[in-house]
Amino acid sequence: MINAFRAEWVPLLRSRFLLGTLGAVVGCAVLGTMLTFFAVGHTDFDGVPVTARGLSQPNGLIQGAQAVGILLGVVALSVVAAVLAGDHGHGTLRNQLVAQPHRARLLAGKLLALALFVILVVAVATVTSVALSFLLAPLKGVSTAAWTSAAGAAALGAGFLNLCLGSLGYAAVGVLAAIVLRGPASAIAVALAYALPVEMLISRIYRPARGWLPVQLMQEISNGGSSYATPYAEALLRGLLYGAAMVLIAMVFFRRRDMTS
Amino acid sequence: MTFGSPTGSAGAHRPAPRGGARPAGRTPRRVGTARTDAAIWTRGLTKSYGSRRAVDHLDLQVPRGALSGFVGPNGAGKSSTLRMLLGLVRPSAGRGYVLGQPISRPDRYLHRVGAMIEGPTFHPGLSGRRNLEQLATLRGIGGWRRARRRDRIEAVLAQVGLTERGDDRFSSYSLGMKQRLGIAAALLPDPCLLILDEPTNGLDPAGIREMRALLGQLAGTGMTVFVSSHLLTEVEQICDHLVMINAGRMLFQGHVTDLLAAEDPRIALVPEHDGDARRLAALLHDVGLRVEIDLRPGPRDPGQRQDYQPVITVHGPEGLAADLNRLAMGAGIALRSLRSHRPNLEETFLRVTGEIDGDLLRSDQPITVPDASVPPPGTGLDPAHSRGGAT
Repeated sequence: MINAFRAEWVPLLRSRFLLGTLGAVVGCAVLGTMLTFFAVGHTDFDGVPVTARGLSQPNGLIQGAQAVGILLGVVALSVVAAVLAGDHGHGTLRNQLVAQPHRARLLAGKLLALALFVILVVAVATVTSVALSFLLAPLKGVSTAAWTSAAGAAALGAGFLNLCLGSLGYAAVGVLAAIVLRGPASAIAVALAYALPVEMLISRIYRPARGWLPVQLMQEISNGGSSYATPYAEALLRGLLYGAAMVLIAMVFFRRRDMTS
Repeated sequence: MTFGSPTGSAGAHRPAPRGGARPAGRTPRRVGTARTDAAIWTRGLTKSYGSRRAVDHLDLQVPRGALSGFVGPNGAGKSSTLRMLLGLVRPSAGRGYVLGQPISRPDRYLHRVGAMIEGPTFHPGLSGRRNLEQLATLRGIGGWRRARRRDRIEAVLAQVGLTERGDDRFSSYSLGMKQRLGIAAALLPDPCLLILDEPTNGLDPAGIREMRALLGQLAGTGMTVFVSSHLLTEVEQICDHLVMINAGRMLFQGHVTDLLAAEDPRIALVPEHDGDARRLAALLHDVGLRVEIDLRPGPRDPGQRQDYQPVITVHGPEGLAADLNRLAMGAGIALRSLRSHRPNLEETFLRVTGEIDGDLLRSDQPITVPDASVPPPGTGLDPAHSRGGAT
C-alpha cells in the first residue's frame, strides 16, 4: 500500500495538473472571501445578515473559506473522479495492476494519496482565504483581534478540519462514480449532477431530507453545522458512515471486477 | 508433445486423450511435473462473456526459456487469454499456472512477470521517464533508494533505445516509441517471464529488426518470452515455440518447425519440352507418387515463344528432388526447372484459420477435418496432425 501511495504522487504532482487544481481552489478562496467581506451590510445566500461585528468573532477568519465549501467539494470530487477514472480511461490501470496485483492495497494506496492531496488543496484555499481576510478586514471595519486569540486559532483549526472532512465526503462520491463508471467525463458529470441539482432539488422540495442526503450532510460538515437544523454531531456521524459506505462499495467493485479494457 | 483441443462441437472441447494432453485429473503426477516445468500451463481455461466464449477450454503449455509466439486472427481470444494469465480477468472455468503459481493468486508470480498487453498505455501528460518511475515505485524497485530506481529506469530506457527522448511527454511519442516504452516498462522488474502483445505494432522495418534482436537477446538470457503478433514472418523467424488459437480454441502448440513439417511439401517440375509433361507425370505416377499436372499459365519466359508451361507437382518431401531428377533423366526427359516448396507460417496460418477475420467466425460452427495433413480453411489442425513441443 505504501508503494501505491508513493507511486500515485507521480501523476498527482505533474505541473499542469497541480497548478490547474491549485489555481482553481485559490480562485474559489479569493471569490468566497471577497464575497463574504463585501456582503457586510447585506444578507448572505440564506438571507442571514452579514455584519462587521459577526466577522470580528473568532470564527470570522474561516468564514471566507467556508463560504465556498461547496466549491472546494466540487473540486475535490472532480479531481478524485478524474484521476481514478482516468486510470481506467488511459488504460494505465492495467500496468498498475500487473505491478501491484493486490487490488485492495493498490486502491487503498491511491485513496490515501488522493485524500492527502484533497487536504493539501483545502489547506491552500484556507491559507489564501485567511491571508485575504486580514487584507480586507480594515476596509470593512472588521476587527482582527479575536482572530489572533487562542479562540480564533481554535476556530480556524476546527473550520479547516470541517472543510477537509466535507471535501473528503465529496471526494468519496467521486471515488464511487469513478470506479463504477470508469470514464472521467461520465464519472464527473454523473457525480456532479447528483451532488448539485438532484440533491438540492430534493432538499428544497422536502427540507427534512437535508439531514439524510449524503452531499447535504457533507455541506453541513463543511459549514461546521451552522447552516441547517441537523446537529453537527449527527451530520458528522451520518456523513462518515456515508463516506465509508461509498469507499467500501468502490473497493468491492474494484476488487471483483474484470479489467477488460 | 502437446496437442490442441479437438475441433469439434462446443461440448466436445476436452483435451484429447492422446499425445500427452490427457485430462489433468487422471494423470496427477505428469500434470504436477508439467506445471513446474512450464512457464505457462493451463487446462480447460475458459472465459465467457454472456453466451459468447472468448476462450474455450484452452490447454496451454509454454516451456520455460522458450521464445514462444502466440498467434490467431482478430477476436481469437489472445488478449482474453493474456488478461487471465495476468490476473486482470477471472477465468469462467479451468485452471492455470504461471511460473508454477496458480493464476488465481497473481500476487505470487507477477513480481517476476513483465507485460505489455493491448498496446502501451501510460499517462499522456507525463514523460516516459516519469511514467516508468511511477511503475518502478509501485513495484518497489530500489525500495526507498531513488538512485537505484533511477539506475534501473535508465537501464531499461537504454535497452529499448529511448534514453534521449525519456524526458519528453508520452503524448508526443510516435507509435513506435510508445511501443518501446511499453517494453521498457515490462522489463523494469527484470522478469523471468515477459508477455508482450503485438510489440512490433507501429515499428518501422529497422525498429522491427531491433525488436527481433532484443527479443532474441532476452530469450538468450533464459527469460521466457511469450509474444503475440500478427507479423507471422517475424514469429517464424524469431520464435522456437508457437501457440496458435482460433475462436478461443487451440489449433496448435509446439515447435514452429514441427508445424511447418506437418504441412504438405511439394516439388514442382517443369520439363524442357511441353510434350514430355504427360509422359513424365505418368512415369512418376507409376512409381507410386501423388502427381498433379498444372496446365494453367506458368511463369512467362521472355526467351521462349510459348506463353504457357505445364508444371508437374509431386507431393513429397524436398529430399525426393534428386531422385525425381534422376528418374526424369533416365527416361530421357530434361527438366527446365525443379523447385521444392514448403508452405511458410503465414500460408499455414491463413489456411488453418480460414483466411478471414476471426471476429466474423462463429464459435459454435460444426467442424469436420478430412484426411489431410492440413485441414481445410477455418478448421484448424486436428490433434493428430498438430505437433506439440516437448514441454
